[in-house]
Amino acid sequence: MELKLHNINKTYDGKDILIDINLDIHDESGIAIIGPSGAGKSTLLRLLSLIEKPDSGEIHVNKYDLNEIEPEEYYKKIGFVFQAHTLFPHLTVLRNITLILEQVHKKTKDEAKKIALDLLNRFELSEHIHKRASQLSGGQSQRVSIVRGIAISPEVLFFDEPTSALDPVLTQEVLSTIIKLREEKMNFVIVTHEILFAKKAADFIIFMDCGKIVEMGHVDILENPQTDELKKFLSNVFLW
Amino acid sequence: MISDRQNRILSFIAALFIFGLLVSFIIYMYPGRADFDLTKLYPWKNIIFKGWLLTIFVSIIVLILSVILGFLLYLLTNSKILVLKYLGAIFNEIVFGSPLVVFLIIIYYFIGIPLHINNRLIVGIIALSLYMAPYMKNVFEGAMESIDEMQYQAMTVFGFTTYQKYRYIIIPQLLKIIIPPLAGNLTFIVKGSSLLNFIGVPELYNQIVTAQSSTYAVVEGYTLMLIMYLIITIPLIRLTRSLEKKVALWN
Repeated sequence: MELKLHNINKTYDGKDILIDINLDIHDESGIAIIGPSGAGKSTLLRLLSLIEKPDSGEIHVNKYDLNEIEPEEYYKKIGFVFQAHTLFPHLTVLRNITLILEQVHKKTKDEAKKIALDLLNRFELSEHIHKRASQLSGGQSQRVSIVRGIAISPEVLFFDEPTSALDPVLTQEVLSTIIKLREEKMNFVIVTHEILFAKKAADFIIFMDCGKIVEMGHVDILENPQTDELKKFLSNVFLW
Repeated sequence: MISDRQNRILSFIAALFIFGLLVSFIIYMYPGRADFDLTKLYPWKNIIFKGWLLTIFVSIIVLILSVILGFLLYLLTNSKILVLKYLGAIFNEIVFGSPLVVFLIIIYYFIGIPLHINNRLIVGIIALSLYMAPYMKNVFEGAMESIDEMQYQAMTVFGFTTYQKYRYIIIPQLLKIIIPPLAGNLTFIVKGSSLLNFIGVPELYNQIVTAQSSTYAVVEGYTLMLIMYLIITIPLIRLTRSLEKKVALWN
């Protein structure tokens, strides 16, 4: 995947959330954005997925210029997994996936069902296809959300702290699902506070603090951090 | 050992029995019990039954109208245009502050008569619907809030059009959420409709009062009235509860 950001700025209520972000990444399939809370990680992810627009600057994701493309067109190319699961509560697990394939991606009923069943099977969720979100555990719901994200064969899948609402056991369950995606060479960008997981799942690390990218590079930077901020951040994390 | 279910049934029968004893005691203490005779109202059965049917009819029409008015009021009070928002708010405050019977009579005298709406039934239906509108507005408000903010973002980022969002996600959820409170409000409407008596609509209360004045069966009349209202409202209350349980499960 390719990410190119040029002088991105974003403020909320007069507060600078992102300050002069520049990025140029080629040929990396798993990118993790880490950093303390309030660093602007989630905001950056929301700009990359065009949920929000920057106040200034340019963003290119693969061949798409996000200032030019119609949001509806771009949304068809990407998947997004939120912090808490966003399964539609009135629909079954299966319908949650097929609805999007049929309505947005114009698949026939049979095609949609086949894609959904194959994926649910592959991610060991087939026993839950007729359940509703309220009947699933937090980990299962989040895994279904991930399957829903990849069902449309997105060019990039974005994760916004997908395990922050889960306990450690369920977190493992979701993280191993994401690692499975990496094995299949799925392109993804994940905001996470699970450093060990980032190490395992990502090729490229972006470390942010106070609205800026402080350090970035191959996943090795977690072993050998160069900046004091990242050193401090990692030492705090590992104390836990 | 008795099962949980048997325990419930036995307890319910015991409660009914105790309640029956209490009612019997009250009747026993009532000085006019020797003359108490529901059959005195028998010659009026058709008129009373017609009144009962009218009560049901009025309640259903008011339910439909007040849902529509309530939705309009919801749009009004959530409007970005402040004048409209305040208009809605003023109406809400007036309704929530007024006793239903006073509101009905005011509507009858100040709106029904000047607009030459001679049909008391129509004035009554309009007045009761207006009165219920803010309650319905609250139902819509609660339902809209119960749809999680994240769901809207999810719908957007999955690429749904506005039409698809409403058609497949929002409206199906809203319908399920609003049905239990609507059934609850219907009970409220049935009870409130008794006050239409005061503007002369020949519903259940009105018809029984008419029968009472000819037969002098005052206590019998009110007893029958209570029973006939309960025949409508108790099933509605039970229905509301079971619907609430279903929706809670589904959430």
